[in-house]
This record gives sequence, structure tokens and C-alpha cells, in this order.
Amino acid sequence: MPQFLSNKRLILLLIGVILLVALISLTLRDRGQVSLPEEIVKEAVGAGQSVFSRPAHFVTGVFDNIDSLINTFEENRLLKARLEEFAGVQAEVTDLRSENEELKELVGKEEDLREYNPIQAVVIARNPDQWEEKIILNRGTNHGVKENMAVMTAGGLIGKVTIVTPTTSTVELVTTQNPNYRVSAMVLGEDDVFGLIEGYDAERRELLLKRIDFSIDLEEGDQVVSSGLGGIFPKGIVIGEITEVTIDEFGLTKLAYVKPAADFSMLNHVVIADRLVPEVDGEDNGVTEDEES
Amino acid sequence: MIRFLVPIVCLVLFFVEPIFGLFSPLSIGGSFYYVVPRFLILFLIFLTVFYELRHALFYGLFFGLLYDVFYIDIIGLYSFLYPAVCLIAAYFFKKIPQNLLSATLLALGLLIAMEVALYLFFQLIGLTDAPAGTFLTSRLWPTLIANALYLGLLGWVFRSMMVTQDPQRGTKFGLY
Repeated sequence: MPQFLSNKRLILLLIGVILLVALISLTLRDRGQVSLPEEIVKEAVGAGQSVFSRPAHFVTGVFDNIDSLINTFEENRLLKARLEEFAGVQAEVTDLRSENEELKELVGKEEDLREYNPIQAVVIARNPDQWEEKIILNRGTNHGVKENMAVMTAGGLIGKVTIVTPTTSTVELVTTQNPNYRVSAMVLGEDDVFGLIEGYDAERRELLLKRIDFSIDLEEGDQVVSSGLGGIFPKGIVIGEITEVTIDEFGLTKLAYVKPAADFSMLNHVVIADRLVPEVDGEDNGVTEDEES
Repeated sequence: MIRFLVPIVCLVLFFVEPIFGLFSPLSIGGSFYYVVPRFLILFLIFLTVFYELRHALFYGLFFGLLYDVFYIDIIGLYSFLYPAVCLIAAYFFKKIPQNLLSATLLALGLLIAMEVALYLFFQLIGLTDAPAGTFLTSRLWPTLIANALYLGLLGWVFRSMMVTQDPQRGTKFGLY
């Protein structure tokens, strides 16, 4: 009977492989949607994960505190030097703010792409195998999080929400290799220049800002922020600054390397931006080409 | 007692992995190193060789599925790899001297095989375009070193936890 047994095993193995391939291809196709069993698993694991991540964040917090205590003297000196500039800048900001509001009233503009409702969230896990740059937050649809919302730290933009369940949300970081990941951005300067953040150079660890009009001159050190024209992200979230400008692979438009402003390691507290202006369906890659021309 | 201990250890390792993932990538001297914690699968390999394959297969399938659903969103990847690695471990451990050192080396060898398989898979579906050299220097070696450290520290704990429970089990191996 050993022949029969091995045949049976072979058939079982074949069925297993077919099932596996079917499952993988099925889940690869619609990765944005979560079915009910997936949602239940995500909820349960997320709850357990937040229990474990709390003490971990506490420990890293203690180390951070010690670290900052050591640097206190140096920082204090630097900050004192800055303080004098600060008074002047503050006066200017209040002046500009009131002027801005008056002007807005004058033109009757009420909605602003810049305004958003911040949702505070804590990172409970980072995808441990790190092939895809993903983090998981402890806020979900119950707290008003929706798909494709922008996620940022104090430093700047870090990613966008890809999957939400009632109490967790999965964030795909901007450093992903996913070719469908786009953020409409603009370069601040005398004239704002629009382009798309599209792709990430893993070796340089810099983002690629593509589809910039060929005739426009960009300089290194220019700041790149989100433009809000993609329909989902608010305007003005810092993305990074330009380090190099070249021509793209087709020679028709320019390409700029952007060094991200946010620090992607040791993420802890993040903010999800819920834009006040009604959002457009889809991803944040709307109408920038029209704006350019 | 091991009946309760194994699932608890598995659960703790499963939840601790992403927390260690938060520290990665490590930047040392300007270059970045990805350290992937593989605590659970290394524990399951030890469970296979020092306790019983069937338990390891079951826990591998279960936690692989959780891993797939929660982190990867591709169902079938880790839920296949974890049990497969355990099966291969059981097959090879019969043919080598059976002690802690050989088990550790076998586990690390299988870890390399699993990382390479994952690299090929993610390259196939286009989620990474890193050349093989970058994969080796920035991912495979750091991961291997970190996990070897982990096994060096906890390997004997795992073994004594499994072997002392039932001395007969320590030498009984096989596919079912």
C-alpha cells in the first residue's frame, strides 16, 4: 500500500498548491477591500497588539527622555538664540494671518484646502517583514478615519491610509515601491510648481517628484508640500526638500529627488488629516496635469 | 504543562515581532540595515525538532494566517511558508547530529532559505526592485545576525522547555 499512500499525498499536495496559488492571486487582486473574516481577525490582533505596544512605547519613551536630557544644555543654548528671532516672526505671522482672513472675506472664500481635522493616533505595529512599508494605527472608522487620508508626524507627511477597520487602520508609507502610489505635490517658490510624488529611490532613500514642466527651473533646497489638488490630502503638508533635479526617463518632463522631512524609523505618535473640504473619491492623484499646463 | 506553554510563547513572540520591527531600519554610519525579527518561525523550528512536528504545523498554519491577514494582506504567503519550513526542518533534522548547535544552524539555514524565497516572491509581484546585492547586504546579513543572537540567547531555553517535559519526545521524529 505504500504506492497508494504516496499517490494520496501527491494529490493532497497538488490540491494544496492549487488552493494556495488561487488564494494568493485572489487576495493580490483586491488588496484594498477587507472581507468580514479578515476584518474580525484584524480587530482581534489589533487589540492584542495595542496591549503589547504600550509598554514598548513606554520603554522607548524613557530612553528618548534620557537622550534628550543629555542634550538639554546644547539645545537650550540654541533655542535661546532662536527666541529672539521668534518674536519678530510671530508678529509677522499674526499680521499675515489677519490680512489673509480679511482678504478671504473680501473675495468671499470660505473653504480652504489647508484646513483639516486632525485625528491623533498611536502606531501599534510596523509590518515586521518590512518588504512593504506599512504601519498599523489604533484608530479606525469609529474615529472618523477613511481610506486614502493623509498621515503625518510633526516632521511631515509619512503616508496614507490604505485599509480601515472599525478600530485599526493600515498606513502605507510614502517610501513604498508601489507604482500606483501618488501624491499631488507642489514646490514652494515665487510661483508654485506642481508635480506628482511618484515612487521612491530605495538606494538614495529619497522620493521622486515627477511630471514637472520642462521649462520650469527648480533649485536644490526648495521645499515640497502637498498641493491638495489630488482631492484627498489637505494642502500644505510638508513632504521634504529637493536635493537634485534631473530629466526623467522619457526626456519630456523634469524629475526631482526629494529628501523626506519626516523620520520614518521609530514612529510613535502620528496625526491623520481629515480634510474639511469634501473629498473626492479615489486616490490622491487627481488633476495635477491640467494645473500644470 | 507544555500544552499551555507553547501557545502562550507563540502568542507573545507573534506580538513582540512587530515591536522589534519598529526599531528597523537601523542606520549605522549612513547606510541602512533592515533587521527582520523572525522569532516565531525559529521557535516553531525548535518545536518541530525537539517536540513534535504536528504541533508545529498547526501553530505555523494558525499564526501564518494571522500574519498574512494582519500585516501582509496577501493570504496564503506565510500560512504556507511557516508549515513548509517546519516540514523541511523535520526532514533534515533526522539526517544530522541531533543537538542544540545543529538545531540552531539548521534553523538559521532555513531562515536564509525563507528570506530568499520571500525576496523572489516579492520581486515577482513587483513590490521590490532591489538588486540581489542590496538584498544581501542590507537585509539578509543583518537579519541573520540579529536572529542568530536571539537563538543564541533563547535557544537553550526553548530546548530545555520542550525536552524536559517528555524525555521520550526528544528523540522521536517523523512525518506523522
